Amino acid sequence: MTKVTLDDISLQEYTLDNLELIQRLRKAQIKIKPEVCIERSRHLTRYLKNMSTDDEPVEIRYAKAVNHFLSSKKPLFFDDNLLAGTTSSKAFGAPVYPEYTGMTIWPELDTISDREKNPLRLSAEDADELNFEIYPYWMERNILEYTRKKYNNPACMGLFEKFVFFIAGKAGTISHTIPDYRVALDKGVEFIIEQAASREKDIREGGDITGENKQKLEFYRAVQIAMQGIIAYAQNLSKKAAELAQKTDDSFRKQNFLTMSEVCAKVPAKPASTFREAVNSLWIIQVAIHAESINMAMSPGRLDQVLYKYYKSDIDNGTLTDKEAIEIMSCLWLKINDNTNLVPETAEELWGGAGTVPAVTVGGVDENGEDAVNELTYIILRVTELLKLRDPSMNARYHYDKNTEEYRDRVAGVIVNTRAVPAFHNDVADIRTLENQGVKTGHARDYGIIGCVEMGIPGRSYDASSSIIFNLVSALELTFYNGKRPIVGDEQIGPVTGDPADFRSFEEFREAFKKQAAWLIGQAIELNEYFGLAHQEIYPTPLLSAFFEGPMEKGKDLIFGGALYNASGATHIGFADTVDSLSAIEKAVFIDKKCTFAELIQALRENFSGHEKLHAYLVNRTPKYGTEDPVALKNSQNLIRFLYDFYQGHTNYRGGKYRPAYWTTTNHAGQGKLSGALPNGRKAYQVLASGITPVSQAAPDLAACLRTVGGLDSLCIPMGEALNLKYPSVSGDDDLKKFAQAVEAYFRSGGLHVQFNIMSYETLLDAKENPDKYPELLVRVSGYSAYFNALNEAMKEEIITRTEYDIKTGKANPFPEADKSMLSYE
Amino acid sequence: MDDFLNFILFRNFRAKRLMKKWLRSMESEAAEESLEILLKLMSLMFLINFRNFRRNIEGFNGRYLFKSRDNSITVSAVFENNRMTVSERLIDNPDITVDFRNGKALLNFILSPKPDILGSMLRQDVAPHGNFNYLYKFAYMAKRLQLMAAGSV
Repeated sequence: MTKVTLDDISLQEYTLDNLELIQRLRKAQIKIKPEVCIERSRHLTRYLKNMSTDDEPVEIRYAKAVNHFLSSKKPLFFDDNLLAGTTSSKAFGAPVYPEYTGMTIWPELDTISDREKNPLRLSAEDADELNFEIYPYWMERNILEYTRKKYNNPACMGLFEKFVFFIAGKAGTISHTIPDYRVALDKGVEFIIEQAASREKDIREGGDITGENKQKLEFYRAVQIAMQGIIAYAQNLSKKAAELAQKTDDSFRKQNFLTMSEVCAKVPAKPASTFREAVNSLWIIQVAIHAESINMAMSPGRLDQVLYKYYKSDIDNGTLTDKEAIEIMSCLWLKINDNTNLVPETAEELWGGAGTVPAVTVGGVDENGEDAVNELTYIILRVTELLKLRDPSMNARYHYDKNTEEYRDRVAGVIVNTRAVPAFHNDVADIRTLENQGVKTGHARDYGIIGCVEMGIPGRSYDASSSIIFNLVSALELTFYNGKRPIVGDEQIGPVTGDPADFRSFEEFREAFKKQAAWLIGQAIELNEYFGLAHQEIYPTPLLSAFFEGPMEKGKDLIFGGALYNASGATHIGFADTVDSLSAIEKAVFIDKKCTFAELIQALRENFSGHEKLHAYLVNRTPKYGTEDPVALKNSQNLIRFLYDFYQGHTNYRGGKYRPAYWTTTNHAGQGKLSGALPNGRKAYQVLASGITPVSQAAPDLAACLRTVGGLDSLCIPMGEALNLKYPSVSGDDDLKKFAQAVEAYFRSGGLHVQFNIMSYETLLDAKENPDKYPELLVRVSGYSAYFNALNEAMKEEIITRTEYDIKTGKANPFPEADKSMLSYE
Repeated sequence: MDDFLNFILFRNFRAKRLMKKWLRSMESEAAEESLEILLKLMSLMFLINFRNFRRNIEGFNGRYLFKSRDNSITVSAVFENNRMTVSERLIDNPDITVDFRNGKALLNFILSPKPDILGSMLRQDVAPHGNFNYLYKFAYMAKRLQLMAAGSV
C-alpha cells in the first residue's frame, strides 16, 4: 500500500497556462489533419516480396520483415514533444496494414483526401505506390482472402460479409490486449534477447530440433530478430536527435534533442533509470508493437503502477518535480494521439468516429489486494483533465472497500470537468468475475482495461477481446421469419424453427430464439476459429509475444496459445432492444393477448404503419429493461445466462474459453440502420441501445436502472459491459458527492462498469446543429471516447437521445418535444 | 505513319465520345448500358494507354463476372497478358462475381462519390462473391476513369 504524499490530489496549481509547452503541443495536435502513412506497408511489402521467400519458417520470416521495417523506419521529430518516436511517418498518421483491412481504401485512393466524413490526406505519389506496388502483392495474401481460399469460402464467411449478422474482428485486427512493459523497463530489451538466445542455445544443445522443439527454436530466434529491430529504431532516433541538436540554435530545442539522444541511446535496449527514460522506453515499445500488430486497442494498461517506481525514485532523489512528471505524461498522451485508423468511407458511415482506443487504467488494488492508488494515479488524472483528448481511453478502477473516498470523488471530479472521462470500473465485481474464469487471484487483481471496457491481465492474458461482434437483433429477426431475415432477401439463413404464429407459449418462442441465436453464434465462432488458424499460419506475433509471461517460458507465440490465459471475446449489439422485445412478446401476445403473433409480425413487416394503436401499446405498456419490472428482469437475466453458458461451452484455437461482453462502440448505430422494426416499438432502421444500457427514454428512474443493470450476474459478463449514463450537469460539492455515491451504490449492487456524458439534450442538439461551436466536444460512445463532430449522424442522435437524469432527483428529464423524431420508436 | 496517327487519333476521339456517353448514361435513370460502356471504355483506355492507364493491368490476371439479378445482363471482364477482354457470357472460375439489381445500382455501388452502402444493402442492390480485393482494384480503376472523364485527374 502506498501513502499518497501530494498536498493537493487534484493538482490544481498545474494548468495549461503554466504548462506552456503542453498547451502549445496540444493546440497544434488538435488542429492537425490526419494523413495516410504508407511507410510500414512499403517496407514490409518490399521485404516480403524481394528479400525473403515463402519457404522460410513463417515466425522468422515475419520477424525479419518487422525488423526490416523498424530498422528502416524514419526517425522523425515533428514538434517539441519530450519523447522520441512516432507511430507513423506523418505527424498524425493512419498507417496502412494491407494484411488486415488496409486494402479497403483502394477504391478511394483518388478521393480519400477530400471525402466528406473524416478525410485522410494522401499524396498522388503514395497513392500510386499503393496502387501499383503494395496492394497487388497482397491480393491473395491478406487475412480475409487467405482464410477464404484455405477454407473454401465457408458459409460462415458469407454470413459475415452480409454485415448484418455478426462481425468477425480478426479479419481486421487481433491486437486488443495489454502487453507488460515491466521486464523491458526494468531489465531492458537486451535482457529479453539474451533470454531468448539462452533458451535457443539450450534447445540446440539438447540435440533434438524436430517437431515442437523446432517450433520453439524458431520462436526464440524470431524474438531475437524482432527485438533487434526495436533497438535499431531507438538507435536511429538517438542519432537523428543528436544531428538535430547540432542544427538548432534554440536552447530549449537543443537541450531537448540532446536529452532524447541520450535517452534513446540507452532505452529500451537497457534498463530505464529515470522516469523520463521509462516513459520514452514504453513509448518506443508501443511504436514497435504497432510495427507488427495493427493500431487498434493495443492498450498500455496500468501506467500508474508500471511507471510508479521511476517516478518515486526521481521525486525522492530530487531529479523530478510533479510539474515535470505532468509534462512528461502529457507528452505521452499527445504521442498516443499521433495515429488513427485507416477506415474506408463506408465504415465511417456505419461506425465512424472511433479512435485507436489504447486504454490506460489507473487506481484499484494491487496484486496483494491493497489500495494501489499513488501519486502517479493523480498525476495521470490531472493530465487527462487538462488535455481532454480522445485517446488514450481512460479508465479508473475503484475498489469500494480499499480505495479512499477522496480518490473516488477525484475520479468523479475529472469526469465532470472533462464531461466524459475516465470510465469507472468496479474492482470487486471485476476481480470476482475474472477469478471465476480461472484467473489466479493475484493476477485478477492486476487487471487492466483493453480498448473499450474489456478486462485483461497485463502481460498474462491474450484476450482477442474483439473477436466477435454479434447482432442479437439478427437472431430475433431470424426467429420471427422462421430462419430468414428480410434485409437479406428470401434466403433461408438460419434453421427452420417454425412460424411464430403457431407458438402456443412464450417459452416456445424463447426456445426458437435460443436455437437461432445458438446457430448464428456457432457460425461466428467457426469463422473466428478459421481466422485464428490463418493467423497462426501467416501472421505470427513474435515481437508482441516477448512482452508476455508465458510465450518466453513455453517457447510459443501468443497466437499459438503461449499466454497464461487465452480467452476470445464476443460482444453483443442490441441487448436492451432484444430484452424489451422478448418482454413485449410475452406481455402482448401471451399475457395480455393484445394481439396474435401473426398480427405482431405483420405490424413489424409494415414498420407499424397502420398499426398505431398496437405500436402505442408496445411502447408504453410493455415491460422495459431498466425499470425492475419482473418480466423484464427475468428476460434480461435469462438472456445473459443463456449467452454465457453457450460461449463458455466453446474452446478457442489457443485453448481458452469464449467470453461474452456487452459493449458496442458505434456498432449499435450501424447495425440499427440495418435492422427491421422490433416488438418493443423501435421502428425499422433506427439505432439500437448502446452497450448494456437500457433503451433511451425507457428507464425513467435512475436508481431502478442502476439496480437492474447492477443486478445482472456479473460472473456471466466476463469480457465486460458498457453502461452509458447522462447528466445534464453536476455542479457544486453536493452534486459531486451524489454523483460519486450513485456510482458506489451501483457498484455495491454488482455493476461492472459505468461511464458518463455530462451534457444536456440542449447542448448536444446545439452541437449537432452548430459543429463549429464545439470543435473539441469529447463524448463517451459505448466504451471509448470520440469527438462529437467525428461521429456519423445516427451515432450523434443516439447520444443525444440517451436518457438524461437529474442528479438531484434521479429522475429522467423530458426529452425536447421538438426533437422527438430522433427517438427510435417515433 | 499517317495511318498510325489516324489510328491513334481515332481511338482518342472514340475514347472521348465514349467518356461523354458514359457520363450521360450514369446520369440517366436507364443506366443498364452504363456497365457495358464502362467496360468498353476501360478496355479502350488500356489499349491507347491514356495517361499510362495500362500500367494498372501490367502483369495483372483477374477474372470478373457481372450478373444482373434478372439475368438480363451477364458481362465478363478478363485481364491477362496486359489486356482486357470483355464479353457478354459466363466465364469459369471468376475471381469475383458481382450480382446486382441493375446497372445503375452497380455503378452507384462502385462509383458514387459518397457510396450509399447502407442503401445498397437495404435495397439488396449488389452482392459480391469471391475475392473482394479484385473488386477494390476494379472500383479504383473505374473511379479513375470517372475522374478522368470529368477532368478531375
